[in-house]
Amino acid sequence: MAGITIEALSKTYGSHDTDAAAVDDLDLAIEDNQFVTLLGPSGCGKTTTLRLIAGYIMPDAGTIHVDGRLVSSPGSVVSPDRRGMGMVFQNYAVWPHKTVFENVAFGPKLRKIAAAKLRSQVEDTLGLVNLTGLEGRYPNELSGGQQQRVALARSLVVEPEILLLDEPLSNLDAKLREHMRHELKQLQRRTGITFVYVTHDQTEALALSDRIAVMHAGRLQQYGTPYEVYAKPANRLVADFMGLVNLMPATVAAVRGERGVVDLGAGLRLDLALPSGIAAGERVEVAIRPENVRLGTEAGDGDAHAHAHARAEIVDRTFLGNLTEYYLELGSGQTVRAQTHPRQEFAIGDRVAIAVDTSLCSVFRSEKDAAQAA
Amino acid sequence: MGAAILALFVLVLLPLCSLLLGSIRGEGGVTIGHFVEALSSRLYLKPLYNSLILGVLTGLFSVLIGLPMAWAVSRTNIPGRRFIRMTATLSYLSPPFLLAIAYVNLLSPNSGLINVFLRDVLDADWLTFNIFSMAGLVLVTVPHTFPYVFLLASSALQSVDASYEEAAEILGAGKVRTALLITAPLVAPAILSGALLAFVNAIALFGSQAIVGLPGRIVTLPTRIYALFDYPPEYGLASALSLLFVAITVVALYLQRSFLARRSYVTLGGKGSRPQLVDLGWARWVLFGVCFIVFLVAIAAPYAALLAVSVSKSWGLDFWKSLTLANYRFVLFQYDVTQRAILNSLLLAVLAATLVVGIGAVIGWIELRTKVPGRRYLDYVALIPMGLPGIVMAVALIQFWLAMPIVLYGTLTILLLAYAGRYIPLGVRAANTALRQIDSSLEESARILGARWSTTMREVTLPLMRPGLFAGWLLVFVPSIQELSASILLFSSSSITLAVAVYNLYETGYIEPVAALAIINVLIIGAVIWRANKVGGAEIGRAGGARHEGVAS
Ligand SMILES: Nc1ncnc2c1ncn2[C@@H]1O[C@H](COP(=O)(O)OP(=O)(O)OP(=O)(O)O)[C@@H](O)[C@H]1O
Ligand SMILES: [Mg+2]
Repeated sequence: MAGITIEALSKTYGSHDTDAAAVDDLDLAIEDNQFVTLLGPSGCGKTTTLRLIAGYIMPDAGTIHVDGRLVSSPGSVVSPDRRGMGMVFQNYAVWPHKTVFENVAFGPKLRKIAAAKLRSQVEDTLGLVNLTGLEGRYPNELSGGQQQRVALARSLVVEPEILLLDEPLSNLDAKLREHMRHELKQLQRRTGITFVYVTHDQTEALALSDRIAVMHAGRLQQYGTPYEVYAKPANRLVADFMGLVNLMPATVAAVRGERGVVDLGAGLRLDLALPSGIAAGERVEVAIRPENVRLGTEAGDGDAHAHAHARAEIVDRTFLGNLTEYYLELGSGQTVRAQTHPRQEFAIGDRVAIAVDTSLCSVFRSEKDAAQAA
Repeated sequence: MGAAILALFVLVLLPLCSLLLGSIRGEGGVTIGHFVEALSSRLYLKPLYNSLILGVLTGLFSVLIGLPMAWAVSRTNIPGRRFIRMTATLSYLSPPFLLAIAYVNLLSPNSGLINVFLRDVLDADWLTFNIFSMAGLVLVTVPHTFPYVFLLASSALQSVDASYEEAAEILGAGKVRTALLITAPLVAPAILSGALLAFVNAIALFGSQAIVGLPGRIVTLPTRIYALFDYPPEYGLASALSLLFVAITVVALYLQRSFLARRSYVTLGGKGSRPQLVDLGWARWVLFGVCFIVFLVAIAAPYAALLAVSVSKSWGLDFWKSLTLANYRFVLFQYDVTQRAILNSLLLAVLAATLVVGIGAVIGWIELRTKVPGRRYLDYVALIPMGLPGIVMAVALIQFWLAMPIVLYGTLTILLLAYAGRYIPLGVRAANTALRQIDSSLEESARILGARWSTTMREVTLPLMRPGLFAGWLLVFVPSIQELSASILLFSSSSITLAVAVYNLYETGYIEPVAALAIINVLIIGAVIWRANKVGGAEIGRAGGARHEGVAS
């Protein structure tokens, strides 16, 4: 099994003067045996990173080592056919002129595996992805989900040390996606293959990964466990991308070492951890996840962790099945979203007390100040 | 609408029926004697064999030339891409019988300039090449047919999703293996389809087969059929032989269609990326050199030769010592056929193109926009002429109109019928593509605003179809003005066309005036295309799809 070390990797399509870099100064250490996800909005450079790892394109700067062996650097790239990796493409790329069996047998045949062994290997792998019985079909006789599993089987059968997957579930319906997600995770656990998985779906990333690399505009924003990137986002881009979040402007009222008090107006003051180097009076943004906003009929109604309270009015509500989402208006006119258990019911127009779990909030310098500081 | 259907009957179905009837009509009623004779006598089997050999060799060489060029243009960083594309287009547009005449001037065994040079100056007898041979025939045919392979293969190579190849690479297949195991099977249908089109078009070219084949005693189907019209004409045999010819063509076209249908999977897979261009390093100049040789052989050398012959007093190694414009003066002002032929050809080509596009538009409209029962059959009928080589069309028309009370034989009208009949598939294709791109809701919204059908046609449908129809018009005009295979049997001294005039003058043996007339011919074609492109340049640009379709038909 193998780990991947990416150092200072950059790639620009077209001219360096006129085009922005697709991947910009990327550092990433992917450990052996891990399930790592590249996550980010469309066009942020995920596919480009994956293709750099696979060796389809040459970096403009930086290096990629696999198990300590230099495989990519400007001017010299070990070609994809000699990297021992597997790749599942976004559009599956299941060859239309070959049957399911022939598709999966392609890799073993190149490795000159004896016919009997080849057949059993291919059949085992097809069994692994629940495709037994479809060996003789052509891809145009398969559903999208089945094609995707053919693509998966085709890369697994050669037992690669590293498997690269480019949004492999994006074309499936919700139920099948859920199912395949589970299977992928199982598979990775069972085989110990290093998975590098690309997606723009944050739930998928959270559910599957050991580590998530959040990217934006070609740059790595944060690299950490699902819990870290969700609960302790490194900056507001990450906070914003990792699910719903209230980004509320505030002023630092007081600083006490690592912690401080920020004032969100309308009587809502939060005592929480601050990023280093922040002074009193500075403008900041506080990221509060909707599920960390508790609602009660009276101030102080929340639980013991709640450190801050204010009053607000319910202006809208949406029933989402497993929870209910409320839009609240603070006295200052700011809107806050909150999510509660559906059993806890309020009506539009109700005045409620809100409590925020400050241990799960993050504070960032506001955009303008951050730009000045940079 | 009725008129278009009637036109299909007159142009296609009735002549075809009279061809069928003619082939089984004997002295005393119905007979299969003509077929028996056509299939048993060496006189007819040999031409059949020669035609097949010519077709197969031409198809093969079209692939050998067209495929590397297509690969170079669509997959590598070869320089001069536009130049290579232009070479293919010009080769396709250039009249094949002029190429044959040009190469006779360069490579005829006794007086061909290159042969004379090799023999007398270099003393290299063994290097000389006799154009009057099967090899020579292939040489003058391939430049006209390799563009079919080039066009189909390059569009297929461009549309193969790059991830198909990348998937093979990461599984351990190198570049060569990937090309052989993945790319080749994916684009093979397109290549085979191009080769079959090359085959079909090659065997139908009367001009080059008469000019290069006959002196070398290589008789082919078109030249054999032509000879059957020497006095006394043998209509029955000609019809039977024509039907054999049609059978070969139809089988080839049927195969071509089914190959092309299998190509559908080339564009499968939505979010794919374009293939990366292969960096050939220094080898790209080698490949470019090969393409440049194609340009030399297909365009530069023959036209330079024609130009040189046309301004020389007598063609030979010393031609440049005495240059003259007398040949042009002769063909333009003294040879009384020329001016009439030019006028006839222009008139015929303009009328045929307009007629065909008009009929095509109506048929396309009926097929796509109405619920008339049996409308699919209209389309099938309109495609039949693709299987009819020019000379067969002529045989059919002669049979039909000789039996009619109206005298059409030898008039411009019968030539017009021949051209319109031959090129109707191009018109229907162009109209079809143009109409498909117009959503019917555009017409419906005009109707709902209160516009009558005629107003809707005039204000919405026709203006939107114009670019596509214009492309179709040019597509018919170009082959019409250089048509020889059918004209050669149908013309009379008053209805002679430019191509026939060139051919007749060539037959008399005056090579210098022929070259002058050939150059004039090319200038006229070039001028019209240039003029039309200027008028409709933007429209052609927008209708690129239609044009491509047409060339591939
Ligand atoms: N072949 C190419 N030529 C030029 N620009 C490209 C090419 N491929 C990608 N880009 C650009 O590079 C940037 C990153 O593209 P990339 O495909 O890596 O994004 P992505 O994160 O995979 O997006 P998505 O989620 O939409 O697949 C984009 O701005 C894109 O437009
Ligand atoms: Mg992508």
